[in-house]
Amino acid sequence: MAQKTKLIDVSKCTGCRGCQLACKQWNQQPAAQTENYGTYQNPPDLQSNTWTLIRFQEIADKDSVKWLFRKDGCMHCTDAACVKVCPSGALHYTEYGTVAINNERCIGCKECVSACPFDIPRYDRVTDKIYKCDLCLTRIQAALEPACVKACPTGALKFGDRADMLKLAYKRAAELGGNANVYGDKFVDGTHVLYVLQEKPSTYEKLPANPSVPLSIIAWKDLLKPLSLLAAGGVIAGSFLHYIIHGPKLPDEDQNHKGGE
Amino acid sequence: MRKGLIQATDAFERIVHWSLAISCLILCITGLGMMFQSFNFIGTIMGGLKSLKYVHNFTGLFFMATLYFTIRMWWKEAGVFSMPEDMEWMMCAGGYLWHVDKVPEVGKYNPGQKAFFLVVAGCGVMMAITGLIMWFPLSFPTELVRWMFVLHALGFVTIFAFFFVHLYLGTIGSPGSLDAMLSGWVTRAWLKKQHPKWLKEMEHEGKLVVYGEEKTSTGGHGH
Ligand code: HEM
Ligand code: SF4
Ligand code: SF4
Ligand code: SF4
Repeated sequence: MAQKTKLIDVSKCTGCRGCQLACKQWNQQPAAQTENYGTYQNPPDLQSNTWTLIRFQEIADKDSVKWLFRKDGCMHCTDAACVKVCPSGALHYTEYGTVAINNERCIGCKECVSACPFDIPRYDRVTDKIYKCDLCLTRIQAALEPACVKACPTGALKFGDRADMLKLAYKRAAELGGNANVYGDKFVDGTHVLYVLQEKPSTYEKLPANPSVPLSIIAWKDLLKPLSLLAAGGVIAGSFLHYIIHGPKLPDEDQNHKGGE
Repeated sequence: MRKGLIQATDAFERIVHWSLAISCLILCITGLGMMFQSFNFIGTIMGGLKSLKYVHNFTGLFFMATLYFTIRMWWKEAGVFSMPEDMEWMMCAGGYLWHVDKVPEVGKYNPGQKAFFLVVAGCGVMMAITGLIMWFPLSFPTELVRWMFVLHALGFVTIFAFFFVHLYLGTIGSPGSLDAMLSGWVTRAWLKKQHPKWLKEMEHEGKLVVYGEEKTSTGGHGH
């Protein structure tokens, strides 16, 4: 199956939040009471029932201020830290290269929350499970585009085969010129969500400039896990060999009366 | 009980030892169920992986309480090496690996057992601290939590390896040893072989509790 990818062209985004709403609607996620903290960004952060969020940011642009809108959500990594740590197999790769979640299996251990380099999964205390965007897996399976892409009125969101999206992204970045760049193909073996950014990645809030699968997780899963099998095999084989080669340690006398049994 | 048997451990000691052993085993097994997806099925008999997680977490609390008593009870006898005899013992690996004409005499615990005790005590405390942080990962800095998982897995590898060797040497690897954990009464011959110095000391001080003989005073751990 061809790898699917969503392209987010932030230069075309008007911050209308149609995608945010469409996501809630399709996935039947209610809105919670929100709070005003002096920005248009609403709700303040991703939530267990808000899987995509338009981040609003004001930056100085010569004498005036400029708005930056960035649609945040799961990046659908090819080398996904969350899948690596998930003990239950709830988080898994799909045939499209995206990362989906089977909530039935989730045990609420929150290991994925700590692991994700993009700080995406959100824990819900009531169900004791985590939630995140699955790139509308059931829609992709039905040959539809994700709900957010469908809703976007400006063409900021596109969805298609990975190769096509990459081409489109580079073309658009070249068109924009200046600082414009493509974000998402250079780390974690490439993500299945790509950005065309107008500014350098470091300009955007909560967007890691150089994300990677954390070193600790590589040490834990790729080193200690195989080592534990090796160690277990070693001590079991070692004890057995000791028994048959050297033999048990026996008292010098009184061997026929062990007693106490 | 047979006449002439010697009391090596008291009831409190045995209860603490069994509690530690069983909780450690449950933690290892349930931990494995989460570490390898191919072992997820271990959760099935507990009603699902989610229950397994909670069995692990609450057994962890029990383990921590037992660990406290274990350390308090055994620290004096098993937590400090007595030089130089312990060094000599280690140089010949206690006679466990190759033939040794005369193994240096050891007290209640040999240096191998002391090392095991120290590993369990050290790793146990580490498992408790890392485990508690991993249980509530959202209350701690992310980078810290990530390394806790590494240490928890490292502790598991270490504890599992030592635990298995301990199990072997406490049973078929050294016949007669299990009695010290089951009834607490062991044979004089076994003591002579395994803990000659302790036997001599206890006899010298007149503290030895021998079945069928009037006891002079109690050994005890001051609990
Ligand atoms: C002998 C002691 C222990 C052993 C052998 C042990 C073993 C393990 C293992 C093998 C894992 C799976 C880690 C992985 O996927 O690599 C694990 C996970 C975990 N352990 Fe332990 N553990 C012990 C003690 C504790 C204690 C005292 C606590 C704290 C109460 C604890 C809390 C946890 C937690 C929170 C997890 C992560 C999964 C979850 O969220 O439940 N463990 N343990
Ligand atoms: S962005 Fe985070 S949650 Fe999404 S696939 Fe990557 S690691 Fe997993
Ligand atoms: S919280 Fe759920 S999805 Fe996340 S790692 Fe744990 S079991 Fe997997
Ligand atoms: S629907 Fe399109 S234009 Fe509107 S906020 Fe989402 S990405 Fe931006």
